Amino acid sequence: MKDIQQTYMVSSVAQVNATYFCLTLDAPALAKQVKPGQFIHIKVSDGFEPLFRRPFSVYRAQKGRVEIFFEPVGRGSKFLAEKKKGDTLDVLGPLGKPFTLPGKNVKQVVFIAGGIGVAPFMMFSDRLKGHKAEKILLYGGRTKAHTFAMNEFKKNGVKTFVATDDGSVGIQGRVSELFPKIDIASTTMMYACGPKPMMKAVAEFAKEKGLRGEASMEEIMACGLGACLGCSIPTTKGYRTVCHDGPVFNLEELIFS
Amino acid sequence: MNISVKIAHSVFPNPVTVASGTFGHSEELYAAKEVKCLGAVMPKTVTLHAQEGNPPRRICETPSGMINAIGIENPGIDRFIADKLPKLKKIGVPVMVSISAHSEDDFALMAEKLNAAGGLAAIELNLSCPNLQKKILVAQSAEATAAVVKRVKAVSQYPVIAKLTPNVTDIVEIAIAAESAGADAISMVNTFAAMAIDVHKRRSRIGNFTGGLSGPAIRPIAVRMVCQTAPRIKIPIIGMGGIATTNDALEFLIAGATMVAVGTYNFVNPKAPFEILQGIKAYMKTHKMTDIRELIGSIQR
Ligand SMILES: Cc1cc2nc3c(=O)[nH]c(=O)nc-3n(C[C@H](O)[C@H](O)[C@H](O)COP(=O)(O)OP(=O)(O)OC[C@H]3O[C@@H](n4cnc5c(N)ncnc54)[C@H](O)[C@@H]3O)c2cc1C
Ligand SMILES: Cc1cc2nc3c(=O)[nH]c(=O)nc-3n(C[C@H](O)[C@H](O)[C@H](O)COP(=O)(O)O)c2cc1C
Ligand code: FES
Repeated sequence: MKDIQQTYMVSSVAQVNATYFCLTLDAPALAKQVKPGQFIHIKVSDGFEPLFRRPFSVYRAQKGRVEIFFEPVGRGSKFLAEKKKGDTLDVLGPLGKPFTLPGKNVKQVVFIAGGIGVAPFMMFSDRLKGHKAEKILLYGGRTKAHTFAMNEFKKNGVKTFVATDDGSVGIQGRVSELFPKIDIASTTMMYACGPKPMMKAVAEFAKEKGLRGEASMEEIMACGLGACLGCSIPTTKGYRTVCHDGPVFNLEELIFS
Repeated sequence: MNISVKIAHSVFPNPVTVASGTFGHSEELYAAKEVKCLGAVMPKTVTLHAQEGNPPRRICETPSGMINAIGIENPGIDRFIADKLPKLKKIGVPVMVSISAHSEDDFALMAEKLNAAGGLAAIELNLSCPNLQKKILVAQSAEATAAVVKRVKAVSQYPVIAKLTPNVTDIVEIAIAAESAGADAISMVNTFAAMAIDVHKRRSRIGNFTGGLSGPAIRPIAVRMVCQTAPRIKIPIIGMGGIATTNDALEFLIAGATMVAVGTYNFVNPKAPFEILQGIKAYMKTHKMTDIRELIGSIQR
């Protein structure tokens, strides 16, 4: 446990735009170990309120630092938004099953993200800089305030397409309406993270086109370690824990009710 | 300093263990010193046949606590013995196994299978799981509790622990019934029947509709129950319910528990049992105690 439970120093907390925050930890060991799609499980306060840790995907891991990208939606994430440089956080991680890296034969990688679900793809695209495949991000957000500078993705050689509910950036509509924008190849790998209806649309699209893909799922978590069986979701193999068997699952394994 | 404790003929190096259903994380972690220091390990309850568990949501957070309705998801006793037990034994600390069944026959059959598996420190009878679709739980009836305990005692080569539900009018009566039927120890308490409602959706926040409350919120009630029961029985008590810190564990020991189990708080701080063990030793040193028995049941009445 020495390795996976550590106290790290916060090196910065920044509000990125109207909606999102970025929190950076000084965490060399973690930065070295973590793989794209894995998450960290953070004790956001001392004492029993809130009781559970909160899970966050690793957004970036470089130069001994680990960043998370989040939206303060409730108590736990608001505590994090209020952290200051020099505060310490008790962190479990890296946890969970990472994305499968695309093989050399993969000619095209498509990231499909809804809202905050974009978080794991920044690190993923950092790690794919040397990969020859065409890289595409289809990003859907509620409004302009829920999209954010796509420049970082562009720097990583990722082509970006945006859809918003109100049409304030990109096309107006859902991410799935961006699917026709991509010229898929038979080796295309799809990676999705976002709200359930979006994931369902991706799974259906992948099935129709016979593409391989993975999705990173969310569920409320207690332990994050596969101990409580509290975060289970139905899959074609029976109930599986999001924290330990996932959060990344094969698209065809998932059951959307 | 002697901190070892006994349940019947089984000896435990120290009184700190884990509550069933809250331990059994990623097996990679079994090698950690925080696991090897435990007085015993207690995996999640197993049943005769595999159970897939309840539909999500299975857990929700409540003030200083949580509600769960996992539904005893487990691979069934045969696969447990074949796949999980060897890894638990390899940790190198005493292993207790928790079992639950729908009939006395099934309890006895499972006890026989565990006899054949060998090498356990005790078996715990989960008589108190509130998550199965039955109107009354075994541990809500003194007679039913006694009957199951008696049946398992007749076949088990290991000490038998009866785990009780707090969802009763008088838990002391049930504990006495279990002792009279031959139980070697009492585990108390399991979770409190509870629910939480999402007011926006006007739905239960738990897929199973109701669940069991655990965590720091229940600790004062659990301590009261242990303190009431301890003077009325001779067999040891494994005390649990909301233990998070050394002081919490000390409350249970002083109230009369021989062992203490960390449950829900393992999810928050997996090192909690280890820290509590260090804390108990430090407390004994400060209070110049040389034997854990000086601490157990030392409440001033
Ligand atoms: C593997 C994983 C990775 C995640 N990565 C990120 C990330 O990179 N950035 C980010 O902003 N969020 C991420 N989340 C979601 C994040 O964990 C929740 O938003 C956070 O726990 C909410 O806590 P809170 O106390 O702020 O909200 P609460 O007050 O607890 O709840 C507010 C709302 O969020 C919902 N919620 C609570 N916990 C979760 C959860 N674990 N998953 C989904 N919904 C939840 C509740 O149902 C409620 O509607 C991730 C979740 C998982 C499981
Ligand atoms: C997620 C979860 C799963 C549990 N599963 C079991 C179980 O399988 N068998 C059992 O006897 N008790 C089970 N329990 C009850 C605990 O063992 C313990 O009795 C109870 O939670 C009170 O202790 P705590 O407040 O420290 O958690 C479970 C509790 C939780 C929170
Ligand atoms: S959160 Fe406990 S098993 Fe996933």
